[in-house]
Amino acid sequence: MKKKMLATLLTAAMTASVLTGCGGSAQESASNAANDEAPAKTQTADAEENETPAESADEAVTLKLFSNLPDRKNGQGLVEQMIIDEYMAANPNVSIEVEALDEEAYKTKFKAYAMDGMPDLVSIWGQPSFLDEVLDAGVLAELNEDDYAEYGFIPGSLDGFKKDEKLYGLPRNTDIMLFYYNQKMFDDNGWKVPATTDELLSLCGDIQAAGITPVAMDGGDGWPMACFLTDIMVKVAGIEYADIVSNAVATGDFTAPEIKQATQILVNFADAGMFQVGYDSQDYGTTMNLFTNGQAAMYCMGSWDASMALNEDIAPEIRDNIRAFTMPVVDGGKGGANDIAAWNGGGYAVSANSAVKDEAIKFLNYMYQPDKLSKYGWENGVGMSAQDQTAYLTGNETELQKQIMEILKNATSVSGTPINDCGPSAFKTAIESEIQGVSNGSTPVEDFLAAIGAACK
Amino acid sequence: MKKLYSNKPVIFSLVLPGILVFLFAVLAPICLSVYYGFTDYTGMGEAHLVGFENYANLVHDSAFGRSLRNSLLLAVGFICIQHPLAILVAAVLDKLQGKAEGVFRCIYFIPNVISVAVIAYLWKFIYNPDFGLLNNIAKAFGHPGKINWLSQQNAIWSVLIVLIWHGFGWGMLIYYTGIKNIDPVLYEAASIDGADWWTTFFRITLPLMKPVIQINVTMAVISALKQMETVYLLTNGGPNNSTQFAANYLYQQAFKAFKYGYGNAIGVVFIIICVLATVALNHIFRDKQEQREK
Repeated sequence: MKKKMLATLLTAAMTASVLTGCGGSAQESASNAANDEAPAKTQTADAEENETPAESADEAVTLKLFSNLPDRKNGQGLVEQMIIDEYMAANPNVSIEVEALDEEAYKTKFKAYAMDGMPDLVSIWGQPSFLDEVLDAGVLAELNEDDYAEYGFIPGSLDGFKKDEKLYGLPRNTDIMLFYYNQKMFDDNGWKVPATTDELLSLCGDIQAAGITPVAMDGGDGWPMACFLTDIMVKVAGIEYADIVSNAVATGDFTAPEIKQATQILVNFADAGMFQVGYDSQDYGTTMNLFTNGQAAMYCMGSWDASMALNEDIAPEIRDNIRAFTMPVVDGGKGGANDIAAWNGGGYAVSANSAVKDEAIKFLNYMYQPDKLSKYGWENGVGMSAQDQTAYLTGNETELQKQIMEILKNATSVSGTPINDCGPSAFKTAIESEIQGVSNGSTPVEDFLAAIGAACK
Repeated sequence: MKKLYSNKPVIFSLVLPGILVFLFAVLAPICLSVYYGFTDYTGMGEAHLVGFENYANLVHDSAFGRSLRNSLLLAVGFICIQHPLAILVAAVLDKLQGKAEGVFRCIYFIPNVISVAVIAYLWKFIYNPDFGLLNNIAKAFGHPGKINWLSQQNAIWSVLIVLIWHGFGWGMLIYYTGIKNIDPVLYEAASIDGADWWTTFFRITLPLMKPVIQINVTMAVISALKQMETVYLLTNGGPNNSTQFAANYLYQQAFKAFKYGYGNAIGVVFIIICVLATVALNHIFRDKQEQREK
């Protein structure tokens, strides 16, 4: 009898535990159902808000922003956070929750979100390697291009964010590939900014002889070196760069002489010891530190790192002496000194399935008001905006900012999307890995070109 | 109690949670992986069936081949370097007795307590050619220039050292526990018979440790195949896939290259290899046991 009772008790306990679990699920389902209803209500509320804003002004709205700017105290992350804080102060009913990850982790999680519900506002890249699959999946909301007629976007800067003439995002920056250099170090050693790639090689030899690393290169991540290759290609192919790359990606044939020559120049640079020992396994932070600690005379990166000149964590004798120049011309190349590697890469978009889409677009438009991202970006030295910034010049700009502005002003042509972002993401993954092998001499140039071609097919 | 265990509702209620977990957390994902392995799914949008295309591509994929070779190399490193050392250290620790035994046991186990992220970054700094510990030591001994420990040629060996070092404490602790379970009377008898330390080790400790060795070696091989976190954080498979491992490559293909279908095909092959490795190891050890019994 006792055993029977024990058996009954055990069964009852187990059943209860299973039911408790189901109960939890049921509650969750109910809660989810309630949440599912909430967006509908919010959308209705948003619709009503358009008609009678005063009625719903106090309704609490939470916007989720997924950002690729984890450093919220410097550079672009700081600018983004400043605008968020201002918006929340101006709209007390709106709360903006930020989730920020660095680029690689961001892109991975972006995909996970794309499969199972995106945050309301996201960072995106207006480049085929990122945007093609995202737009095919229909996870981004369409924006009305006419709304941005007065926002001062540089002509052509919206093109990368469009598909079938429809706009899905807005660009944040105009990115320029640069050699940052330590002017004091150059002056102390009598080094001159090179005008040709031969002079650059010769300069690197002099710098090496002085026991200093010539150029700090983030080869571990792959993409900075692909941007560097783009920079060389622009000097080799000139304004034909975009057509050559576009054709190569479409056919999977990268044997064009310009691509081959540019790759060979990259190999020669690495072979001559231009980059630090172990560049092909070192990450962004380590590489930048080499330059900002004075262990490297130059640092190859985009204009987004111009905020180094205002970063108080960097010693003043280095911070105040950071200057920049673009890739020197290649002897016999079609690209001139003012044909530069530049593009409008990063930006923002709104999720197509956002429950608070109207509020998200309202915030997006607020960010892009000319006196927000563009102005704050300029004041914080984070490089060039994708919008006209001339109204915000204060005369107190750093020398580096003035130089970058001059470079862009004097540009006779800009490259557009860097080579690694011109194809599908499989191509991007392949080129960013293979470029390590070709630059360090492990892979012959022909094999490299064949491997990246195969990734396009 | 016997009646209780033969009561079907009780058995059912006790087994059900386990079955549910297995069905939804193990079997369902594997079935989904098999399905997606036959598609061109990018992770977003719609999936289209492509038959065995992903598997055919896998056969010609040199990076995948290299990742399997690296896993094999790591398994060999575990079996031939890490485990013999772990058994020896465990046997020495057992003889130490007293406070020293506890202190050294803790010291050897410390790497296992530290987070993988910390370990990876620690070794990244140790290997750094400009300010790393190893190059500074080499410089102190008069080595000119900088050694690139993570170059395409050296990286796999540098990664293997970290992985073997990191897993050493765990293997050693399991062997140590195994040795502690050996009846001390056997050692006393051997001592009376005049056996020295090495004879005792080879004739008593090692034979009685075979079940422990079997478990440890199986776990080591599976762990070599599954290797991901340390490699991801230390080199992310680079330079140019020279330190690529199957799990890391799967991750890169599925989540970076937007080739989710291909990533799942890698996952399916990966599961098959893991199952085959486990079956083969069990077979090897069982045969030996059976032969001994015969």
